Amino acid sequence: MKRREFLTRAAAVTAVAMIADQAHAQQQGAQGAANVPMDQAAARSVRRPPKPNARPSMTDRERDDNVEKAIHCQCGCTLDVYTCRTTDFACQVSPAMHADIKALVEGGYTAQEILDSFVDVYGERALMAPRPQGFNLVGYVTPFVAFAAGAIAVVGVLRSWKARKAVAQPAGVPTLSATPDELARLDAAIRDDS
Amino acid sequence: MILIGELALWVALLMSAWTMIVSFAGGTQRREDLIVSGYRGMYATFAMTLLASIGLWTALLTNDFSLKYVAGHVSANMPALYTFTSFWSGQEGSMLFWALILSFYAAIAIYFASTRNRELAPFANGTLAAIILFFIATTCFKANPFARNAWIPVDGAGMNPQLQNPGMAVHPPTLYLGYVATAIPFAFAVAALITRRIDTEWLAVVRRWALVTWFFLTIGIILGMWWAYVELGWSGYWAWDPVENASFLPWLTITAFLHSIMIQEKRGMLRKWNVVLVVVSFLLAILGTFLTRSGVVESVHAFAQSPIGTWFAAFTIGATAVTIYLVATRLRDLEAKASLESMASREAAFLYNNLVLVGIAFAVLWGTLFPIISQWATGAREKITVGPPFFNRVNIPLGLLLLALTGIGPLIAWRRASVSNLRRQFATPVIVGVATAVLLVALGMRNWYALVAYLLCGFVAGTILQEFYKGVNARRTIHRESAVTGFIHLVARNRRRYGGYIVHAGIVMLFAAFAGLAFKVDYDVTLNTGDAHEITDPLGHRWRFVSQGLSTTQRKNTKVLSLGLEAWRDGKLVEVMRPEKRTYFNARGEQIFNPTTEVAYRTNPSLDTYVILAGVSSVDTAEIRVSFNPLVMWVWIGGFVMMIGGLIVMWPQAERRRPQAGYVSVLAPEAADAKASALAGV
Repeated sequence: MKRREFLTRAAAVTAVAMIADQAHAQQQGAQGAANVPMDQAAARSVRRPPKPNARPSMTDRERDDNVEKAIHCQCGCTLDVYTCRTTDFACQVSPAMHADIKALVEGGYTAQEILDSFVDVYGERALMAPRPQGFNLVGYVTPFVAFAAGAIAVVGVLRSWKARKAVAQPAGVPTLSATPDELARLDAAIRDDS
Repeated sequence: MILIGELALWVALLMSAWTMIVSFAGGTQRREDLIVSGYRGMYATFAMTLLASIGLWTALLTNDFSLKYVAGHVSANMPALYTFTSFWSGQEGSMLFWALILSFYAAIAIYFASTRNRELAPFANGTLAAIILFFIATTCFKANPFARNAWIPVDGAGMNPQLQNPGMAVHPPTLYLGYVATAIPFAFAVAALITRRIDTEWLAVVRRWALVTWFFLTIGIILGMWWAYVELGWSGYWAWDPVENASFLPWLTITAFLHSIMIQEKRGMLRKWNVVLVVVSFLLAILGTFLTRSGVVESVHAFAQSPIGTWFAAFTIGATAVTIYLVATRLRDLEAKASLESMASREAAFLYNNLVLVGIAFAVLWGTLFPIISQWATGAREKITVGPPFFNRVNIPLGLLLLALTGIGPLIAWRRASVSNLRRQFATPVIVGVATAVLLVALGMRNWYALVAYLLCGFVAGTILQEFYKGVNARRTIHRESAVTGFIHLVARNRRRYGGYIVHAGIVMLFAAFAGLAFKVDYDVTLNTGDAHEITDPLGHRWRFVSQGLSTTQRKNTKVLSLGLEAWRDGKLVEVMRPEKRTYFNARGEQIFNPTTEVAYRTNPSLDTYVILAGVSSVDTAEIRVSFNPLVMWVWIGGFVMMIGGLIVMWPQAERRRPQAGYVSVLAPEAADAKASALAGV
């Protein structure tokens, strides 16, 4: 192979590689720029055999409120199944999860049993909020414990300030010689710019 | 221009570094030449950042696809408005935008502080320059909007269609204006801690900027809610997404600060706490940015999984360490001057209010971080989801407590409230609150959370009306003014107090609207062309929806699939609604992005009728979801009222001497206005 031929071929290969790389990058860019990065293959089957003589365990509204709004769509969004299946036209995961939920409702399963079934398949991330058990209890309790601790601290601070006031004003300190009307005006003037 | 912009960005980096060094050196050594050089350096930093921004805008508006940022966020057929707003729609641009706003704010703050706050200004300037340096360095090295493509594409990827909404043209800038403004009080807090001058001078400048922060965060959050409601198509306006939480956190702490600062102004108390709130607000703004841009928590926002998370983590840790050191070494200087007379006083009420606001902030932060904490503690392979059910369970009780305190605080006198005073002040608001609840029970409302919310809304509304009534009445008695003139003068003469009450009125509207969602109902309906479906809304009206069929149209960069839907209420045609699905194309006709939802909604003060085109199962079969959302309009009205109240509070007013820490000077004869306030308040 002559030098010119080698250089020409090398240039052609480089150009093709650059174009392919750019096309790949553009394709990736387009995917990355999707409204929400979506995993369309995330749906897994959550099917159970119907209970004997099964009848639907709840109405559609109860299903939506108690089950679909409590289950997290796994497509990569942050929405529940109920919301995602009407919000995102392209999501194939929430319709599949919705179909599973419908089948379980028709199979006579209760809301809790359906939620448990989804947790069995997807793990705890299937739920919109963690179940209040185990370490999750820490999650639920901590804000209230912190608030109670803060309240105790505030009351403690206020009491210490009050005690300081009592110490700072020993008996015999002359009090204000003002009429009730003057005191009322005085209070109001202090309130004036609150 | 683009090249000049790129160069200007690097010059801004150097200028901010220079400003930081000479400002701290000048402040420490008290060298006027260095201090002045620092001021000029800050102005130059702003000028260079502005130039860099103009360079990026030029690249965007001229479709220069040689820049990766332009190719990634713009397409040739995009409307000009969104080409302009794409400046802040991506990571790199938004970082530069942040630096632009911060340098602009800093230049203004330093311009005034250089004459009014000469002791604090050099250190505040140095701190601001350090923050700007961080943002510009992150922009230059990790998220450079001027980075080039190896190959120039024919067209760009275009903007995420959900961002192609007028709300998105305004929401991010206002939110950034709020976020970034937290840096100014922070810088002055650091300066005050360094110089040990935590006095009224510090208070004045910090309060002004805290109001700016609060004002823009409020507008930004409300606009974000509006955008989510009209654009995302999930029939709600708040989902406790980490990005929403990130904007809410500094809002809560700044709101707490704006209340507690009054105690420092009047009584010289809570100095430590106020410094902590200012510092925490800024750190929360940075932490929120880190959380949503690092990918450590799941968010709908596309910034996740970016490489700047580590930089933000390091900056957050560094800034926290520095401020902890400063506060810890200056605790003695921050000791309170005054003491408390009674637990039933306005001061104490403000403390309770602060406790609840900070408690909510903690709960929101905790919920946002809990997936990470849980994964770390349990060693689970995947993170759990902490969504609305968790946040609602934790925050609704605290929110109701906050609402109650909104009504209680203004009714209690400063220093000490007597029993007779409390009885007189509380009587009307309590009657209004109870009457509201009784009326709603009589009308059939049985949701206890909602009932408590409306009882408290009535109570707070009663408080506000009583305050205005007494104030106006006092002016009418003393000045012989009409009710309208008295009202205008009352607000104009005492903007902080009555502007604050107007903000509270906005809060009442928001809570009333939130409680309304307890009565939201949805219906999933499948309609063939010509089919009709009847449903009932929460107010008992009978609705009939008739499908006119599906149609497609083409716009500049969009193909639109829409459903014509006649909406009849109680037998009367009220509107033909058109829910849509839109598919976006680039200039070459290639589809970009997934199809998006465009909802059709009809709004009025009592109820929104909200229709989503959920799917199309055949050429003339549409699946729709109809939601009836009560009182949503009051969210936007409440937000607007809060904005007006905020503007009134912020409006410059000639400084008056405020009564400080004790019965000082108040027995002296006051002006007629003070007498009016006295009559109004007692």
